[in-house]
Amino acid sequence: MNAKPEVVIVVKDLAASYGSRQILRGINFEVHRGEVFVIIGGSGSGKSTLLKHMIGLFPPQQGEVWIEGQNLVTAEGEARTRLLRRFGVVFQGGALFGSLTIAENIGLPLGEFTDLPEVARECVALSLLQVVGLAEAAHRMPAELSGGMQKRAAIARAMALDPHILFLDEPSAGLDPVTSAGLDALIQELSRSFGITFVIVTHELRSINAIADRLIMLDEQSRSIIAEGNLAELQSQNAHPAARRFFNRE
Amino acid sequence: MIRMAETNQPRARSETRILADGRVSVRLWGILDVHTMGDLWRELEERLRPLQAPGLDVDAASLDVRGGGGLALLRYLKASGFTPRTAVTLRGLNSELSQILHLYEGDLKAHQVRRRPQPSVLQELGTATRGFVRELREQVGFVGTMAGELAAALLHPERLRWVEVKRLCIAAGANALPIVSLLSFLIGLILGFEGARPLAQFGAQIYVADIVGFASVRELGPMMTAILLAGRSGAAFAAEIGAMKIDEELAALATMGLNPLRFLALQRVAAGILLTPMLTVYTMFAGVLGGTLVMLSLGFSLPAIYHEMAASVHLGDIGVGLSKSVVFGAIFSAVGCLRGFQTGQGPIAVGVSATRAVVSSILLIIFADTVFAGAMFLVG
Repeated sequence: MNAKPEVVIVVKDLAASYGSRQILRGINFEVHRGEVFVIIGGSGSGKSTLLKHMIGLFPPQQGEVWIEGQNLVTAEGEARTRLLRRFGVVFQGGALFGSLTIAENIGLPLGEFTDLPEVARECVALSLLQVVGLAEAAHRMPAELSGGMQKRAAIARAMALDPHILFLDEPSAGLDPVTSAGLDALIQELSRSFGITFVIVTHELRSINAIADRLIMLDEQSRSIIAEGNLAELQSQNAHPAARRFFNRE
Repeated sequence: MIRMAETNQPRARSETRILADGRVSVRLWGILDVHTMGDLWRELEERLRPLQAPGLDVDAASLDVRGGGGLALLRYLKASGFTPRTAVTLRGLNSELSQILHLYEGDLKAHQVRRRPQPSVLQELGTATRGFVRELREQVGFVGTMAGELAAALLHPERLRWVEVKRLCIAAGANALPIVSLLSFLIGLILGFEGARPLAQFGAQIYVADIVGFASVRELGPMMTAILLAGRSGAAFAAEIGAMKIDEELAALATMGLNPLRFLALQRVAAGILLTPMLTVYTMFAGVLGGTLVMLSLGFSLPAIYHEMAASVHLGDIGVGLSKSVVFGAIFSAVGCLRGFQTGQGPIAVGVSATRAVVSSILLIIFADTVFAGAMFLVG
């Protein structure tokens, strides 16, 4: 008998709105330790909004987000800071600090939240850059890197504090198929090697097919989850018609 | 798979022993991740750095490695980072850890911070001169093109996008009216109070009206307005155009066959030239009002103040003040646009452009005012 997977994220009855515009309602799902969990849906279905609520950027209109047994919505002060350090976030554009080199970008959280000596911080930064295949670019400025390189550097920065969970918003957006495939391979490698739980927002079919362990699909009309399961379940004949249309590109 | 650590886990530790054959053995144990490895790093640095041993054996069997950051220490240890003169053998790692460690392979030292050689004074001088010449060329080119575009717009006013000019006049001019008026009023008050004391010694306080009137109309009115607009609107022009450049909006304009200079800068410079004299009139009035209030408080009547001001400030002075304001308006708006077009890459570049726009504008405004003062002196 298979052991029950450990739940690391629980989203309970989440609702979100921008002013009077309802974006999400009645969102419920769980993410398991070590899996690559993908949030899919058409443009405007609220994928990025959901992610931003999961990482505590926006307070939900209603509902709860539990990360490793702690409610992020109600956590405050030092408890919230500790909770935030358990996960890393890779934003759509990378969000690297333009005034710092790539190595300095990675060293920044290490300098703020660890007691590592400078040489150790540099070593960790360079090692992480080696993992994402960017050691050569360590001392370059973000503006000097291509989009794909910036995404990889952002992943290295998000990994700096040994997070348990990585959230990625549209990691393949704007990348060519080869770079995108390289990024997918990196995500799989990091998931396998470091046991990091990934929560990824994307609508890139190739990426979804390559990396997803489980998925949820958001729908713009109902503003809620219309399909949930693994890749095979969402692509099967029994799946929600919208999910079938999504995978069949209809 | 590596398990993840809590941030308050016990620290990783080491034990060092010197073996009979002179080799050194280090046993590592405890939980190792980026949050717990600081002490271990310093401990190893202190114990291993001075060693002169034929070899170093590292036993990591009891080490509980959690997370990727902690592995950087093992990589550094394995690459003889702590013991530059001693070969290191790392053992005790399970196959999973050894497999992960391969991700970290590569020459760390090759990528460590490379200090750039300090350039000589001559090199720095050359670089600065080259930069100055390049900038001068850009500025001359920009001024020439703008002058041509403005002349063309005068001949064919329909070439200007008047809706945009109106929007800019409201944003940069009408919205700046309260702050410009307040500051000018306060400066009028200051001039009045500061002038009243020394003039009282000669029984000549009535001449405060001359000082306030003359200074507000010819000097402070146009200059304060221009400096305020340079800080407020010139910086905004630079930031707007700079952000557009970063977002490739300028490239989009160019590929559509639209000249970004005509499309963006011309309307801003036209707005600057139009709104600065209008604001300057308000500034003059507010400054005079401030000085008048001081004089009223000193016991002078309103007709006496008016007659004194009218005798000292002529229509020509107002003309000079307004002429200056037209030039100052052109300077702050053109410089703001130029700095925007010169914006480099990355979000910092926008801030740099805005700062450069303000500094250059103020410098050029004061320089132009000096030229005006010299010319007026010569003309008499």
